[in-house]
This record gives sequence, structure tokens and C-alpha cells, in this order.
Amino acid sequence: MKHWIARLGLITIALLVLPAPALAQTWQVDAAHSKLTFTNSYQDVRYTGQFSRFTAAIDYDPADLAHAKFDVTVDITSLDTQNAERDQAALGAAFFETTKFPRAHFVTTGFRKTPNGEVLADGTLTLRGITKPVTLVVKFVPHGDTATLDVTAQLKRLDFGVGTGEWSDTSMIGNGVTVHGHLLLRSASPL
Amino acid sequence: MRLRSTEAGWGAPMRALHWLIAALILAQAIIGLTMVGMGLTPAKVRVFALHKSVGLAILALVLLRIAWRLGERRPDDPPATPPWQHRAARAMHLALYVLILAIPLSGWWFNSASNAPLVWFGLFEVPGLTGGYDPVWKPRALLLHQTLFWLLVALLVGHVGAALWHHFRQRDDVLLRMLRGAPKNGNKR
Repeated sequence: MKHWIARLGLITIALLVLPAPALAQTWQVDAAHSKLTFTNSYQDVRYTGQFSRFTAAIDYDPADLAHAKFDVTVDITSLDTQNAERDQAALGAAFFETTKFPRAHFVTTGFRKTPNGEVLADGTLTLRGITKPVTLVVKFVPHGDTATLDVTAQLKRLDFGVGTGEWSDTSMIGNGVTVHGHLLLRSASPL
Repeated sequence: MRLRSTEAGWGAPMRALHWLIAALILAQAIIGLTMVGMGLTPAKVRVFALHKSVGLAILALVLLRIAWRLGERRPDDPPATPPWQHRAARAMHLALYVLILAIPLSGWWFNSASNAPLVWFGLFEVPGLTGGYDPVWKPRALLLHQTLFWLLVALLVGHVGAALWHHFRQRDDVLLRMLRGAPKNGNKR
């Protein structure tokens, strides 16, 4: 009995003294210095668009990818391609159909490192009511209390039904879309 | 075939450019007036692209025509043309040159301020004039493009009317020398 109590005491002390396993670092996104852009082609001309409103919950520690997580919600109605007619058409029923699908959501399912040291974030993107796996290439650069996070993904617009009917013609609007996120992160620690 | 214009008629290059540009302007007007009423479909996008390409072609041909014209003499007016008719004809022709230059330029300007693609007949990308999207100048450029077009329509009524008046009422060769060059037997038919 005594032996048993001693053992319990040792375990208790060990739990108190030994460092807890590191929790993934939580960051706050500095929206004013962060951008979510994409490039696509229209009539064979590359153009860049931006979603000016999005929120991102970022848990990331490069030394602890097992606990990393990105959860991003994009306000599709904040689309801006520097062309009023194109923006208006893009929000309409043939494209993003924002009256039914005003937001897109991306959440990671896991992170991995490639043999050449690149970090990939696997996740699912829900866009226009369709959920598909999407992988981000992650570049994380810490600068003390802040960090920059650059993520890039290659999507196909037709996978998500963006551009239906006649607009599925990829010679008019390219199928490939490169999405790029540049986030300025600030440490969310209480101090 | 005579290349240079003479006192009695226009040379082949001036005639060819006149009728080629005239035909393109007619086609362009039909395309332009049709396309603005189309619903937004890929067909509309293609028709707009065609309108832009034809407009740039007209601009290039007008520049070529002006360059050639600067090295040319103007055929003489029919005998006994009153000075006011001479001045009116010169003013009309100058105004037509200005308009057929300014209309494609204003369209190019509008397209640039709209940040819309500009690819000449699908062959090469043509740069913009404004350095990207410009919501302030965009409506002004469009208004200018449309106003100048309707001004051109009005002047063309006068231009075509004058040509027909010369041909059917005056029975001189003003229209013929733009069609077949200098006649062999002088100014009177």
C-alpha cells in the first residue's frame, strides 16, 4: 500500500516538473498587412484578383507540425479584380453564386514535410457548395514576435463549378487558378 | 495603276485605304451597336474582342493613310467650285480624319481604364493606355467614344451626300476619281 502511494506521488511530481508537450503556437493575423490573391487568365491575359475580407485561425510551430492547423474563411463578395464588370459577373449565378454561397472555407487536415524540406498543408476547401482536397505549399518565416506566412495552392475552377454552362470554356477563362496568401502574423501569447 | 495622286485623281493607295477604312467603319458600327445590347455570354465577350481588334486595325490603317496623304497632293476641285465649297470640303475631310483617329483611340482608352483584356485578333497583347483600372476616367472615355461615333455618323451623312450630289447633280468626277482614279478625259464626264 505504501509502495503504491509513493509511486502515485512520483507520478504527480513528474507531471508537475516535467515540461508539458509544446502546444502549437497560436497567431493573430494582422489583416491590414495580409493579402489573399489569385491569378487566372481571361482571353489569354493573366490577371490578378483579391479577396479583401477573410479570417484565418493559424496555429503553427515549424517544430511541431503535428499540432499545426489553419482554418480560413473567405468572404467571396469581397472579390476585386480591378474590373467592375468582371467582378459583378464573377459574383453571379454562373460563377461564385454568392447569393447562395457567400463564403469559402479551408481547413487543414494535416501537415507534412517533403524530402527537400518543403512544408505542405493538406486540407479541404469548400467553395460553391463543393468540398475537395487542396494542398498548400507553406513558407513560414519567424521574426521574433511576428512571422510571415506565405501559402500557395493550385486549383481548378471547374472542380468547384465556378463558371458553368458556356463559361466552362477554358479557352475564354483559364481553368487553372493559383491562389496565394500572404499573412503577417503576430504572436497571440498573453505577453 | 497609278500610285501617286495627281491634279486629276487619287492614286491607288489613297483609294484602297479610303474604301477599306470605309468598309471597316461600317462593319465596326454594326458590331458596336449590336454588341452593347447582348446578354453576358462568351459570345458577347468574343464580339467585344472582335470590335477591339477591328478598331485597332482601323487606327493603324488611318495612321498609314495620313502618313501617305502627307506626301500626296490633293486632286484639283472641279472647275468653278465656289470658295465656300472648297473650304467646306477641306474642313469636312479634316474633321473626318480627326474623328477616325479619335474614335479608336477613345475606345482603346476606355478599354484600358476598364482594365479589360486587349489581344489583337488573338495574336498579341496590346498594352493599355492608363496604367490599369481607372474608375474616374472610364465613364468619360466611354462617353467620348460614343459621342464621337454619333458625330461621325452625322458627318458621314454630309460626306456621302456631298459625293452623291457631285455625281448625280453636278455630274462631275469627284466620286469617280475616288473609285477608279484619274479619268483619261479630264474633269467633265
